[in-house]
Amino acid sequence: MPISAEHAGRAYPATEPLAVTAAGIAAFARALGDDNPAYAGPEPVAPPTFAVVLAQRAWQQLFDDPELGLSLDGTIHADQRFAWSRPLSAGESVRARARIEKVRLRPPTALVTVAVDIATSDGEAVCQSVSTLMTRVAP
Amino acid sequence: MRPGDVFPELRARLTRGQLLAYADASGDQNQIHQRDDAAQAAGLPGVVAHGMLTMGLALRAVTDAVGPERVASYSVRFAKPVVVDAADGAEVVVRAEVKAVADQLATVALDVRCGDDKVLGAATVTVRDDEGAR
Repeated sequence: MPISAEHAGRAYPATEPLAVTAAGIAAFARALGDDNPAYAGPEPVAPPTFAVVLAQRAWQQLFDDPELGLSLDGTIHADQRFAWSRPLSAGESVRARARIEKVRLRPPTALVTVAVDIATSDGEAVCQSVSTLMTRVAP
Repeated sequence: MRPGDVFPELRARLTRGQLLAYADASGDQNQIHQRDDAAQAAGLPGVVAHGMLTMGLALRAVTDAVGPERVASYSVRFAKPVVVDAADGAEVVVRAEVKAVADQLATVALDVRCGDDKVLGAATVTVRDDEGAR
């Protein structure tokens, strides 16, 4: 059965913990062309949108879910919202949990709202991501 | 921060080399951001930037001025793709203006363009406006 409104509410287990490292932060900041000193030095914080690294790992579970029948090739990122309680820092270990909030079928596409909660391995919530993914569905 | 305050304009040039670096740093290896043939197969004129890369670099218009720690939320709609030329790259221009301040939270609207195209829609950042704390 392809993705439908009935999949709203489906939640996925937390991803394996990701260690946030100074090297990972530096590579991400460099790719953004961002030389803000907050992302360097002995105790760097991550650029806010580094959260996408976590969100992406969580979204992968939707693409791996055979019941939804989603393909990465047929999917476009339509909008994105992040809310942070604080920045991520080097040395932390974080996990992401995805949940399908809403599915709007507009054949030949479906709009899928996915929320991802990002928390430290100790359970402190640090960021929430909400995205709309526009995906092709069979008419 | 007060409504009407404007941040210094940000002009950032994106190159294909940067797209490859972003693919590695973010984990998004979608080939439409790396190869013209893959982008064209998807109906695009050529290699386009990751939407999240455009979103991330546009935020610099705010974080260059206030730092990343005070950013409370950020939302965008991916309105148009940023096509990145193999030789010239693409220039993204960001203007940011404070629209409202309430409950120690400043709402900043971003205008993000590549050439004549508005590439991010409804781009809004909220910043914790804890003056006195810094």
